[in-house]
Amino acid sequence: MAADGQAAAGTAPLNLLGNMAGLWMLLLLGLLILISGLPVWALLIGVASAFAAAGVASDAFGLQVLRAVPARTIGLLENDLLQAMPLYVFIGVLLRRVAVADALYVTFVRLFRPLGAEHALAALSVGALIAPTNGSVASSSALLSRLVAPRVAHLGTPQALTLISVAATIGVVVPPSLVLLLLGDAMLMAHLEASRLPGYVQAGQRIVNTQDVMHAALLPAVCGLLMWGLVIWFTTRKSVQKPPVAQIKSADSAIALIAIVTIVLLLAGVFSGRLLAVEAAATGALLLVGGTLFSRSLNALAWKTVCADALRLTGALFALLVGATTFSLVFRLFETDRWINTLLLSSTLPPLATAALILLMVGLSAWVLDAFEMIFVVVPLVAPVLIARLGDAQQAAVLLLLMLQLSFLLPPMGYAVLMARARSGLPAVSNRALLQTLWPMIAVQLVLITAVFSWPQTVHLLDAPNHQLASESPLSEEEVIRQMQEMAPAPSVDTDPQTPTARP
Amino acid sequence: MLLLFAQWPLRDWVQKYSREANDMGQIVFSIYVAVAVSAASRAGVHLSSSLELEGSAKPQRWRVWAVAACTVPWAAFMVWAGWPVAFQSAAALEHFSETRSPGYFIIKLAMILLVLLVLFESLWQLMAKRRQGPHP
Repeated sequence: MAADGQAAAGTAPLNLLGNMAGLWMLLLLGLLILISGLPVWALLIGVASAFAAAGVASDAFGLQVLRAVPARTIGLLENDLLQAMPLYVFIGVLLRRVAVADALYVTFVRLFRPLGAEHALAALSVGALIAPTNGSVASSSALLSRLVAPRVAHLGTPQALTLISVAATIGVVVPPSLVLLLLGDAMLMAHLEASRLPGYVQAGQRIVNTQDVMHAALLPAVCGLLMWGLVIWFTTRKSVQKPPVAQIKSADSAIALIAIVTIVLLLAGVFSGRLLAVEAAATGALLLVGGTLFSRSLNALAWKTVCADALRLTGALFALLVGATTFSLVFRLFETDRWINTLLLSSTLPPLATAALILLMVGLSAWVLDAFEMIFVVVPLVAPVLIARLGDAQQAAVLLLLMLQLSFLLPPMGYAVLMARARSGLPAVSNRALLQTLWPMIAVQLVLITAVFSWPQTVHLLDAPNHQLASESPLSEEEVIRQMQEMAPAPSVDTDPQTPTARP
Repeated sequence: MLLLFAQWPLRDWVQKYSREANDMGQIVFSIYVAVAVSAASRAGVHLSSSLELEGSAKPQRWRVWAVAACTVPWAAFMVWAGWPVAFQSAAALEHFSETRSPGYFIIKLAMILLVLLVLFESLWQLMAKRRQGPHP
């Protein structure tokens, strides 16, 4: 199939439809997203369909190859990891309507009061606890806008927006976030691809899975959180105006305590490998539903609305995946991915300079795209070469996550900033004013990225024991093949071989 | 949610049926998202650059046509290319390959359901706009 496409691509009568066709697809998609304001999933499908038709018409590839699109869509429907998506969306929607986040916030305010920056630190802490189970940056931003914006407005609009934006991005790097899970899956596939690239050295590292990415990301995530906390404390501790804090009720304290203990236990379960991230999220969701039913805080109509909202938001996210799957297949049929790989691998730049260049490209893309579009469209294209250049898949994964986080924080297009501005209900503020409060957070992020880039061992300090063992002794070729077979189980009947069916 | 949660005690304590619970979860998930995509279209909550995941109750005429131009040919192709695969699977009552649990064919039928709903939703939106008259 690929050979067919490759042979035909070489004789394509239209220059437009050579190896560079994929780049034209990306360019057209980007332009249409920005200019038309049409649903991104429809544009992904529309651009892919137009180029697929042109590809078939110009004999770049045959119609038969496009039959892989339904098979790939079936691959999405049977993907274990994606089963977690409705769950995360449901938690996010439910959290916006119940008092758990409010109870956590009030408790943290009381806890941090002696330090003098209680509201700002409470916002960050709630973000750290809630955002990972909240599904997406958009969902976290919606929750934090409702919860935090009125309570930190006394710090000034720029500082309030900074707090909401920063807290909403924590879910990108702290497990068991959906972004991290999906990136883990994407990195597994990317690592497999990287291991097939010419000149790639396995260097004793086994093919990474979601668990490895979580272990790798945790320490940088915690360091980033602590540094952000320090910056926030330093910049807001002398705020004179403080809103009155409602007296903490014993019920709030109990809810907050239960929530904190539950989240920490589930996190420990995921981290120790006793629980899969998806199971931890399901356990958390079940407890949240049980608690909400027990407290009777939602009536039947409110439950109906929660379920309907969860269905629609899940549909919106899944549609993106369907669109991205179609788009990436057509992109690959033009072999633009191979062309980019060859271009980057044959670069005369030192490997680390090439890796830095790739990260810069990722950062620019993430400035205009959201996390899910990045993971399903951009990451599969660039991650294999990034891994090959860095020689460390876990380091590559963490750097990608940190770059996403950084880009989401850069005004005016950064996703977290955009969402905080749109949803917080706070007065409009100029980019310059916003940057004055945001720059220390951005500086922290840059320090983290530089540290992980310069010292790869920072992502291996919490490696699982078997992973460390694997790192100590280089793997034989047979072992690599065995691991690859384990990681990518044989697809079901009639499923295209390229269909990702990896387990979490 | 229950099926995802159940995998943990089934695997660690009962030490069986965990994979079967996962299979059932996959079936439920496939039907859920097959319906969810067009539910999102109907509610106008698809991600776009104008305002992310916010509903716009009455899309302009040109937007409806543009979305239909993107989705209808794709959905028609998906039905044409995917139907034989789904039909064969359903006719054979295909099982999950690893566990031999029944019902794998439902996932393939869910793909057909998903694209058919996208197709009908786009056509329905077009017809609704036509009925509204010439003004956008």
